[in-house]
Amino acid sequence: MINLWWLCIPAVVTGFILLKHLNKLSQSTTFIALTTPVFLAIVFSALILILFNIPYETFSYHTQFLSWLLEPAIVALALPLYKQFLHVRKSALLIFISSVVGIVNATVVGFLLSIVFAVPKELAHSVAALSVTTPITLVVTDSLGGIASLAAAMVIFIGLLGALFGFIILQWSGVLNHQAQGVAIGTACHAIGTAAALNKHPQIGAFSSVAMALSALLTAIIVPWLYPYLSQLLL
Amino acid sequence: MSAFTLSLKASAQLLLSIAIILGCLAAAKVIMQFTQGSFPAPLLGMLLLLGLLLTGLIKEHHVTPSASPLLNYMPLFFIPAGVGFIEHLNLISLHWQFIVACLILVPLTSLLLISHLIAVFKGRAQHD
Repeated sequence: MINLWWLCIPAVVTGFILLKHLNKLSQSTTFIALTTPVFLAIVFSALILILFNIPYETFSYHTQFLSWLLEPAIVALALPLYKQFLHVRKSALLIFISSVVGIVNATVVGFLLSIVFAVPKELAHSVAALSVTTPITLVVTDSLGGIASLAAAMVIFIGLLGALFGFIILQWSGVLNHQAQGVAIGTACHAIGTAAALNKHPQIGAFSSVAMALSALLTAIIVPWLYPYLSQLLL
Repeated sequence: MSAFTLSLKASAQLLLSIAIILGCLAAAKVIMQFTQGSFPAPLLGMLLLLGLLLTGLIKEHHVTPSASPLLNYMPLFFIPAGVGFIEHLNLISLHWQFIVACLILVPLTSLLLISHLIAVFKGRAQHD
């Protein structure tokens, strides 16, 4: 049989670039959220693997070059973090406190739910870092012994929900302040939510970007220490 | 400057920025190896680079040549990892109530908590 596995990476890359173009076709927030390239790319790849009965191991072996680039890309995240910090020195403290509150809340809620539903440890560890951008979730969840891929899929889904319903919920709860909306969306719904925020209003988008960057940094610092402490405290 | 020297300069800048990013990553891996900690090395690398940028030891334009393509295509790099959830379909279908509860309650509580916290200081109105 001819070896066609080398096609994995070109196929994923081409698909991703096509999806990126598709994403730019409409200005509607709903359309932008539902055609988020990484979401569709993961859904399509998963469907192809399942339909053609391709073991995940084979796929992951032949796309490992892409996964290797994730680590330097995470280091490169320092650049947008640095740029965002210069932007918001003025309201930095309030955004900082809100991000800490959001991250701790997300970890605690996930932890409490895992106790209520009495799920296996592996699954409980997977929901410790859901309030952050996907690459950070992957490495933090992995270091905690959770299922990184499940956490990543959940984070992307949360971003989608946030982009679709986040502003409806905020309006319904009576908060219309741009800073409050932006920081809440950025911390809770990271990149996909931020894209929706930028589409809604530049000021909301700016606060959302800052909060997303800050919560990436804070999650990286807080969750690897907070989570083991939480599990010791309550188990 | 001729086109050749220009492209030579661009390549040197690209190489330098790659070296800085990989250097931070390598330093972080060495540190974690020696301290036996469980902190993820790429995150430590990110913090190291952020520290270097904030102290001004490394300037923004030193890292941009390789950082911006890496950042632009970042989602591509976690597609393979993201697809991995199909290996856990059994676990997911067994505990779908828990997963749905997390998907709804984690962002919902954070959204409400954060927006109201800021509204306390800044007011709820549209303009601040």
